[in-house]
Amino acid sequence: MKLNLMVYGKWFGMKLIRLCTLLLALSIVTFGLMSLSPIDPVQAYIGADAMRVSSEQRQAIADYWGLDDPPHVRYLHWASAMLQGDMGTSMLYREPVADVIGERFLHSAALMAVAWLASGVIGLAFGIVAAANKGRWPDRIITWYCYTIASTPAYWVGLVMLVVFAVWLGWFPVGLAVPAGVMASDVTLLDRIYHLVLPALTLSMVGIAPIALHTREKLLSVLSSDYVLYARARGEKGYTLIRQHGLRNILLPAVTLQFTSFSELFGGAVLAEQVFSYPGLGQATVEAGLGGDVPLLLGIVLCSALFVFIGNLIADLLYRLIDPRMRKGGEW
Amino acid sequence: MSNLSKQLVLILAMVIGMAVIAGCGSRTEPGQSASRNTDELILAIGSEPTDGFDPTTGWGRYGSPLFQSTLFKRDHEMNVVPDAAKDYRISEDGRQWTVELRDDVRFSDGEPLTAEDVVFSFETAASSGSTIDLSNLEDVRVLDDWTVQFTLKEPQSTFISILISTGIVPKHAYGPNYAQEPLGSGPYRLVQWDRGQQLIVEANPEYYGQQPYFRKLTFLFLSEDAALAAARAGQVDIAAIPAAYADQSVKSMRLAAVKTVDNRGIMFPYVPSGSMTEEGYPIGNDVTSDIAIRRAVNVAIDREALVDGILEGYGTPAYTVNDGLPWWNEETVISDGDAEEARRILTEGGWADADGDGIAEKDGLNASFTLLYPAGDVTRQSLALTVADMVRPVGIDIHVEGKSWDELRKLMHSNAVLFGWGSHDPLEMYYLYSSRYQGVDLFNAGYYSNPVVDQWMEKAMHATSEEVAWDYWRKAQWDGQTGLSFKGDAAWAWLVNIDHVYLINEQLDIGNQRIHPHGHGWPITDNIEEWRWLEP
Repeated sequence: MKLNLMVYGKWFGMKLIRLCTLLLALSIVTFGLMSLSPIDPVQAYIGADAMRVSSEQRQAIADYWGLDDPPHVRYLHWASAMLQGDMGTSMLYREPVADVIGERFLHSAALMAVAWLASGVIGLAFGIVAAANKGRWPDRIITWYCYTIASTPAYWVGLVMLVVFAVWLGWFPVGLAVPAGVMASDVTLLDRIYHLVLPALTLSMVGIAPIALHTREKLLSVLSSDYVLYARARGEKGYTLIRQHGLRNILLPAVTLQFTSFSELFGGAVLAEQVFSYPGLGQATVEAGLGGDVPLLLGIVLCSALFVFIGNLIADLLYRLIDPRMRKGGEW
Repeated sequence: MSNLSKQLVLILAMVIGMAVIAGCGSRTEPGQSASRNTDELILAIGSEPTDGFDPTTGWGRYGSPLFQSTLFKRDHEMNVVPDAAKDYRISEDGRQWTVELRDDVRFSDGEPLTAEDVVFSFETAASSGSTIDLSNLEDVRVLDDWTVQFTLKEPQSTFISILISTGIVPKHAYGPNYAQEPLGSGPYRLVQWDRGQQLIVEANPEYYGQQPYFRKLTFLFLSEDAALAAARAGQVDIAAIPAAYADQSVKSMRLAAVKTVDNRGIMFPYVPSGSMTEEGYPIGNDVTSDIAIRRAVNVAIDREALVDGILEGYGTPAYTVNDGLPWWNEETVISDGDAEEARRILTEGGWADADGDGIAEKDGLNASFTLLYPAGDVTRQSLALTVADMVRPVGIDIHVEGKSWDELRKLMHSNAVLFGWGSHDPLEMYYLYSSRYQGVDLFNAGYYSNPVVDQWMEKAMHATSEEVAWDYWRKAQWDGQTGLSFKGDAAWAWLVNIDHVYLINEQLDIGNQRIHPHGHGWPITDNIEEWRWLEP
C-alpha cells in the first residue's frame, strides 16, 4: 500500500511537470503566432470605426494596451501577471479574462457534457449492436451512418439541423441559449434545455461515429477469439455472450476514446456554437482570434489545454482501474 | 467577414438552394410570424458591442446610443437640431464652443443632467484610449450649471459631429461597471444583457423627448446567416442581411434597401515613383500619376453595370466619398461607361497603342498598373476584376491582386487600392485628400496634394458655421477651376455605394431612414423613436 502511494505520487508529480511544460510551451507558441499574425490589434479593436480615428488616437490605443512593446516584453509582462493569478483584461470585452471565460464556460460545459454522455452511451450501444449483427441490416445501417457522419464537417451537420428543425419545421429556436426578450429570472430550466437540444444533438451525432466504429472493430476481434469460440461451443450466445465475455474487453478502447475525445469535443463545440449562435467558449475563441485579443485567446487556449489534459489523465487512470495488466508494467 | 463565416454563408445558401430545388412542396413555413400587435420588437441587426454601452469608449458612434442622449442630433436633412442642449455658440477664432444645456433633462434614476456631467463625459472620453477622437480638444469646463465651454487646439467645424455622437454619462453613477450597467437620459434603459446573446431594453419613463412607441426592444446578436434563418423562422421583426440574400423572399417580411455612403472606390497613387516613406516603403506610381490615366479609368467604368452586376441592384453609383450628403457637390456626377471618351482622353494625354498589343503606351511606358484589394472581401474582389475588364478595351491594363491588410499598408503608396469609406462627418474628406494626411495611416495613401483644394478644406475646417463649411467642402470637390473630383484632379475613381439590406416585418414602419454610413446594422436604430406599426 505504502509503495502504491509512492508510485502514484511520483506518477502525479511527473504528470504535473508535464502539464506545466505543456502550458508554458503552448502559451509561447500561441503568443508567437498571434504576434506574427497579420491581424493588427489596433485595427481589430477599432473595427469599422476606422475612418473616424486619427493617428494620434491610434497611438493612444496602442499605448493604453502596450501594443508597441516588443513581443517578448509583452509576453513576460503577461506571464508574470499570470503566475500571480491575474489572467489579464480582455481587449474586446474590457473585462477580466477570468470572468469572460467563467461565464462562457458554463454554457459550453452544459453543451459538451450532454453531447459527451450521449455520444458515449449511444456510440457504445451502436458499436455493440453492429458487431453482434455483423453483415446484417442493423450493422449496415450503423456503419453507413458512421462513415457518412465521420466524413461530414460538424458545422455542415449543424446547418442541416438548423434549416430542417428550426427554419422549416419551426420546432426549435434558431439559436442562442435563452428565449428572446425574456427576463433572466423568468427563464426556466426547460427553456434552457429547449435551446440546448439542437447544438447538443449536432455535437453528439458527430461524436457517435468514431466510438461506434472502434467499439465495433474491437468487439469483432473479441468475438473471433478462441475463448469466445470455446464459450460458443458451450452453448452461450447472443447478448449474454457479449455481456459476459466481451464487455470488459471493449470497454477499454471505448473509455480511452471517450476521454481523449475531449479535444474533438472542444473543436466540435466551436463550430456548433458558431452555427447556433450559442454563447459558449467556442464563440469567444473565434472572436478573440479574429479580434487580436491576445489575453483572452491565451486564457482560452490554456483553459482548453487544461481541459484536454484532464480528459487524458482520467483516461490514463481508468485504464489502470479497468485493466490490471497496465498496473504491473511499472510504466507509470 | 471572416473566412469561416463566409463559408457558412455559402453553405447555408447551398442548403437553402437545394431545399428550394427539392421543392419542399408542403410549404410548411412555420405560421408563427413575428407580427404581434404589441409594443415589443425583436431585432437581429448586427454584432454585439462587446465592450459594452459606455459612450466614452465608443458606444453609440453609429445609430442611437439608446441609453444616453447626446447634446445635438441630426434631422432627416442632416441639419443639426438640439437634443440635450439648447444651443451653441462658436467664438470668432473658432476655438471656443459654448454649449447651453436644457435644464429639464434627467437621468433614468431621476437625477438632473448638468454641465458637470457633460464635462465629465468628455474628459473621460478623452482619456479612455478608445475610438473617440478628441485629440484636438484642449480643455472643457463648466461655466455654470447649464453651460459648458469647449476649447479646441485648432478650429474645427466638424467638432459638431463629436457633440452629435457622444452620449452623456452621469458623473454620480459612473463606475468601472458602467459599460455593463449603463444609466443615462436616453429614450431607453437597459433591462438585461445576456452576453453573446441578446440585449433587452425598455422605454425610459424619465425621457424628456418624444416617448417611443415601442416600449420594449430585444436585440439578438446573430450572424448574418443566422439572422436570415431567424427571419425565415418568423422569430424576428428586423434582420440585417447581406445583399447577396436579397433575392430571398420571406413570408410576411418585406425587403428594405437603405441608401448609404458605404462606398467603394479606387485610390490612385498621385505622385510619380522615386521616393520612400520613413519605414522604407515606396511612394508613387508613374502610370497612375498621369491624370489622363486616372480620368480615362473614371470615364471607362460603367458604374450602373457594377451596381446591377455585382450588387444585384442594391447600390448606387458613387462619384465622391460623400455622395448625397449636404456637403456633396452635385457637379461631380459624370457620364461614364464611355469607352470613346476614355480613348480620347488617353490620346490627348499622349498615350497611344503603337506596338498593337492592345495596351497604350507613352514614352515607352505601358499603361499598366496593379489594383490591390483586401483578400477575402468578395465584393471588392468582384469590383476590382470587373473594373479591370471594363478598362482593358480602352487600352489600360489593370492587374488585380488580393493582399492582407499588413501587405496593403506597405504597398498602398505605390499601387492603386480598392478602399471602402463613408461617414456622416466631412472630416473624412479632409483625411483622404489633405496634404497634411499624406501617408498617414490609410488616409491619404496616394499622397494627393492640391494647394487650392487644401485651402478650401482649411477654410471649411475653420468655418464657424456648418452651412459655410459645407460650401467650402463643396468647393474642395470642384470650384469651377480645380478640385479633387473627376472634373479636377480625379484623384480617386469612386465606384459604388452599397445599400444596406434589411428584412422587415411587413407591418412595421421604420420611418424615414436617412443615408446610412459605412457599417451595416446599428445605424438603422437612429430614429427608433419614430418606429411604429402600420395601420391595418
